Amino acid sequence: MNGSEGGIPAKGVGERTFVLTGGTGFLGSHLMAALIGRGDRVVVLGRASEGKSLSDRIGALLDWFGLERLRDRLETIESDLMKPLLGLEADRYAALCARACPVIHCASDTRFSERKRREITEANVHSLAGIVGLAKDSRAPFFHYVSTAYVVGTGTAVTLCREELSDSGEFANVYEETKAQAERQIAAECGRVGIPFTIIRPSIVYGDSRTGRSIRFNALYFHLKSLEFIRDIYLSDLRTNGGRKSRDHGVSLDENGNLRLPLRVFLPRRGKIDLVPADYFVAACLRIIDHPRSGAVYHVTSESPKDLGELASYCERYLKIRGLEIIYGEPDGIALSPPEALLNRFIETYRPYLADGRQFDRSHTDEATGGLRAPELTYEIFKRCMDYAVSVNWGSGLRSMRTD
Amino acid sequence: MDDALKTAKNCRHYAMCKIDYLGSGVCPSGLEKYYDSFYPRGRMALYAALVEGRIPVTQKAVEIAESCDLCGKCDYQCYFYTELRPSRVMEALKDFVSRHLSEGGAVEQAPEDPLLQQIRAIVGEEWAENDRGIAVTYSRDPCPIAAPQMPAYVVLPRTREEVASLVKLLRAAGVSWAVRGNASQNMGLSMSTGAVIDLNRMTGIEFDEKNWVAKVGAGVAMFDLQREAVRRGYRVNAAEPTALVCGNVVCSGIFSTFMPAYGTAADNFIDADFVGPDGSLFSLSDKSAPNLFAFRQADEPTPGICTGMKVKLHPTTPDETGVLVPFDSLGKALAFVKDCAVRRIGVALAVLGSEYISAFLSPTKSLAAEVKKIFAEKLGIPYLALVIGDSHAIRSVAEMGVPAFDQRLFRSIFLGLPSLRSARWLELLGELSTHEPYSYLNIKGFAEMAEVALAPSPAQLLRDVDADLRPFFETVYARPEMTDLVWLNTFRILSSRMGREKQYWVNIVYLPLEGALIEEIESEFRRVAERHGLKHDLGFVTPLDGGKRCILEYDYFYDQTDPDEIARVQRGAMDAGAVIMEYSAKLGTIRWIRHVVNQGISRKENLLYT
Repeated sequence: MNGSEGGIPAKGVGERTFVLTGGTGFLGSHLMAALIGRGDRVVVLGRASEGKSLSDRIGALLDWFGLERLRDRLETIESDLMKPLLGLEADRYAALCARACPVIHCASDTRFSERKRREITEANVHSLAGIVGLAKDSRAPFFHYVSTAYVVGTGTAVTLCREELSDSGEFANVYEETKAQAERQIAAECGRVGIPFTIIRPSIVYGDSRTGRSIRFNALYFHLKSLEFIRDIYLSDLRTNGGRKSRDHGVSLDENGNLRLPLRVFLPRRGKIDLVPADYFVAACLRIIDHPRSGAVYHVTSESPKDLGELASYCERYLKIRGLEIIYGEPDGIALSPPEALLNRFIETYRPYLADGRQFDRSHTDEATGGLRAPELTYEIFKRCMDYAVSVNWGSGLRSMRTD
Repeated sequence: MDDALKTAKNCRHYAMCKIDYLGSGVCPSGLEKYYDSFYPRGRMALYAALVEGRIPVTQKAVEIAESCDLCGKCDYQCYFYTELRPSRVMEALKDFVSRHLSEGGAVEQAPEDPLLQQIRAIVGEEWAENDRGIAVTYSRDPCPIAAPQMPAYVVLPRTREEVASLVKLLRAAGVSWAVRGNASQNMGLSMSTGAVIDLNRMTGIEFDEKNWVAKVGAGVAMFDLQREAVRRGYRVNAAEPTALVCGNVVCSGIFSTFMPAYGTAADNFIDADFVGPDGSLFSLSDKSAPNLFAFRQADEPTPGICTGMKVKLHPTTPDETGVLVPFDSLGKALAFVKDCAVRRIGVALAVLGSEYISAFLSPTKSLAAEVKKIFAEKLGIPYLALVIGDSHAIRSVAEMGVPAFDQRLFRSIFLGLPSLRSARWLELLGELSTHEPYSYLNIKGFAEMAEVALAPSPAQLLRDVDADLRPFFETVYARPEMTDLVWLNTFRILSSRMGREKQYWVNIVYLPLEGALIEEIESEFRRVAERHGLKHDLGFVTPLDGGKRCILEYDYFYDQTDPDEIARVQRGAMDAGAVIMEYSAKLGTIRWIRHVVNQGISRKENLLYT
C-alpha cells in the first residue's frame, strides 16, 4: 500500500458535512441518500440539465428515495468542474473552501464508446483539476475517489488483482482507461499537496438487493432487456402474425407457455461476472469513508461472482424462455441465426465482463468494513430487481430524473 | 367553412389527379375534355369560386359539374399524397349546381367575343373558351407570391402551328398570355388576365431508339414519358411526375436524384422546338436560333413556348437497386454523397431530410409526424443518403464501410411502419448506436429480424387509412414497385407527399458541394424560418457534375388557406432570397432558382460556372 495513515475524522458519524460530486448519478445518489439518512449533511456539486436545475434534479431523486423530509440536510451548488473555481463566484468558492469538508468524487462518464473518447476523457480526467483543486484549497480532511475495479485492465496476466494502483496499459474500453488514468492523477496530486485520499473500486453495481429498486438499468439489466425484447418480437409474431417467421427460426411455444428460443451466446473463455448490489456498495463505502486509510485502494467486489450459465438460467426462468446456451469460443465459421446475431451484438459492449478471469483482492475492504460481504445474487434478488426494472419500463418510467 | 370547401381550398395544385400513377385510371371526363376544369383539380377550384360567389353558375359550370360520374378515382390519387378526399367536393359541386337549377337559378352564357371566334378558327370550336366557369379554374395558384388573375380566354392548341398562329393573333390584339402546364403550385407563372394557353392536348411521344431520344409534345407529363421509356428498358431524367416535360425544362431545368448521372438543364435534351414571343418558329439546334444555351444571372423573360423536345434516353441495368445510408449530421451525409459523386458511384444520389423520407413512408399525416420523431430521436437518423446504382455501385458503398438500409430492410420498415411506433427494441438499437452509429444495420440477419418484429404488410401499413380506401391501397402497396427505391425515384413518387401536411415554398440553390458552406446556408434558412414562425426542413441535396456542385432545396411550409401564414411565408421567402443574394454576391459560385426560371434550357456549365 502506498501513502500515509490518515486519522479517524474528528467529527463522528451523522455530524459531518461532505462535498459530493455525481449526486445525480447512480452510485452518487445512493451515497447521498445514505449520508443524509444517517444524519450527515451533503453539499452536492453538479449541473443543471435539460432545463432542470440541479436542485430540481436532486429533489426528484429525494422523492424517489423517499427522503424529501431530509431536504434540509442537502445543499446544491451548480458548478462546472472544468472551469476555474468550479465556475463559482470567488466569494462563493471561498465560502465553500472555508467549510473544509471531506470530498467524495463520484461524478463520472460511464460510457464505453470509443467515439465519445473526448467527452469521456474530459469528464473523467480533465475535470480532476477542479475538484482536487477544491480539496486542496479547502484543506479537505479526505478525498475519496469512486473508481472501478476494472482499472486493472485486460492485458495483465495476473488473475488476482491487488488493491493498489495499476499501471496496466490495455483496457477493454475508454471508460476503464480514463478511470485508471484518473486514479494515478489523484494519487500523484493528492500526494503532492498532502491531502489524504482513498480510491474505492466497485465492480458492477446493480439495484438494491432488499427492494430491487434502481435508477439505472444498464449492465446486468441490459442483457435481460435484450432477451426480453427478442422474446417479445417472437411472441408477437406467434400471437398476431401466425408465427411463420418464428417457425423458420426454430422458435415455438411449448405446452407450458414457455418460449423455445434457441440462442447461442459466444464468450471467449470461461469466467465469471462480478456483481454487487447498490445497498452493499453504499454500506461498504460508508465504512471505508468512516475509517479511511490514506492512499488505500478498496475493492468493493463480490466474494461469489456469478457464472454466466447460472445468470442465463435466471434469465430463462424469469422470461419463461428455453434454449439459451453459452458457448465458449469464437463463433468463427458458425452461422448465427438472426436473433443470435442480434443478441450477440447487443451484448458486445459488455462481453469483457461476462467471462472475466480477474479475481479481486479485498484485504483493505475487509479490514475497513469488518468483513462485510455482498449478498449473493440469488434468483430471488435477481427477480426482485428485474420486477422493479420492468415496473418502471426499464427506466422510461423514471424519465423525470434521468441522470445522464 | 364546410368540409367540402375546406378540401377545395386546400387543393395543392400538384395535379396528381391528372396522371395514372396508382394504376386506378384517371378521371374520364378530364381525359376526354383536356381542360383542367374537367379534372378533379378544376372542379375543386370551380366549387370554391361558386360557393364564395366569385362567379355565377355558368353554362360550362353546369357541364363540368354534370360530367363527374363520382367514380371516386380522385380520392385514391389525392388521398395518397395529400390525404384529401376530392369526391366529397365533387358531390358538393353537383349538389350546388343541381340545387341552383332546381330552384330556377340563372345560368350565365359566355358573351359573344370576336377575338374568341378568331382563336377558335385556329384551334377549333371546342378548344377555346371565355366561359367564367372554365376561366376561374385557371385563375389561382397556391403560390404565396401569386395574386389571382382571371383569364379572359383559355385555349388548348394541338399543334405547333396552332400555337404560332395563336401567339401572333394575341400579339396583334394586344392580349397578354401565359402558358399552363400541370403542376402549377409553386411559381405563380401560369396566370394571365389575357389568355391562358393550356398545352395538355399536345401529347405525342415518339421514340427514336437508334438515336437514344424520345420526341415529346408539350403536353406530355413526366410520369407518362417515364412509363413509356421504362417499358422500353430506358430511363429519362424525370422531374415531378405531373410536370410537363417541355415546360419543366424551360422553367427550371429538370432536377432529380438522378442528376449526378444525367445532369440538368441542357444535359437532358438533344433539341427543342419553340414558338417565339412573336410567333416565329425555331429549333434550338438551328444555326440561326436565338442562343438560349447561354445563362444570365438575372430575371429573364420567357423565351417563347416550347412545343416539343427530343429528350435523352438513358440505359438501365437489371441489377439496379437502392440503399439508404443513415447519418446523424448533415455534414457527414454531404461528405458521403460527395465522395460517391466524385468517384462516380451510383446513378442517383441525394441527401434527404427526415421530413422528406417520413412524409413519403407514412400513408397519413399523423403517422408521418410520429415516424419523423422516431427517426430523429429513437434511431438518431435526421438525414439519409440515397444511393441508387447497379450491383457494382452498391458493393462499392458497402466497401466504403457505411451501414445502410438495403432494399429489403427499406421494404420491411416501410410496410411495417406502424409497428415501429411501438417497437421497444428500437431503444436497444439506440443504445448500440451510442457506441457505433447504426452498427445494427451490419448485423447479419437484421433485415430478417426486422421482418419478424415489424410484420410488414400492406394491411399493417394502412391500418390508419380511411377504411373505405384500404382495400384499394392494399392492392397498390402489394405491388413491388411501391416499395422499390429505384421505381420510386425513377418516377419521382418519393417526393410526392412533401406537401401533404401543408403547402410548401421551396428555396432552391445551386452551389458548391462543400459541407461547411451548405451547413452555413442551411442554418441561415432555418433561422429565417424560425424568425417567421414557419415549419421548415431540408428537402434534399443532390450532387451535380461529379460532385463539384449540388442543388439544395430547403422548404418552408405554410397553410395555403391562412392569410397570416401566407403573409409570414412571403416574408420568409423574401428574407431567404436575400440570404441567397448575399452569398451569391460574396462567393460568385451560387445560383438561385429564381434566375433559372425561363433559362432551364441553358447549358449546365453556363448555369453553374459562368
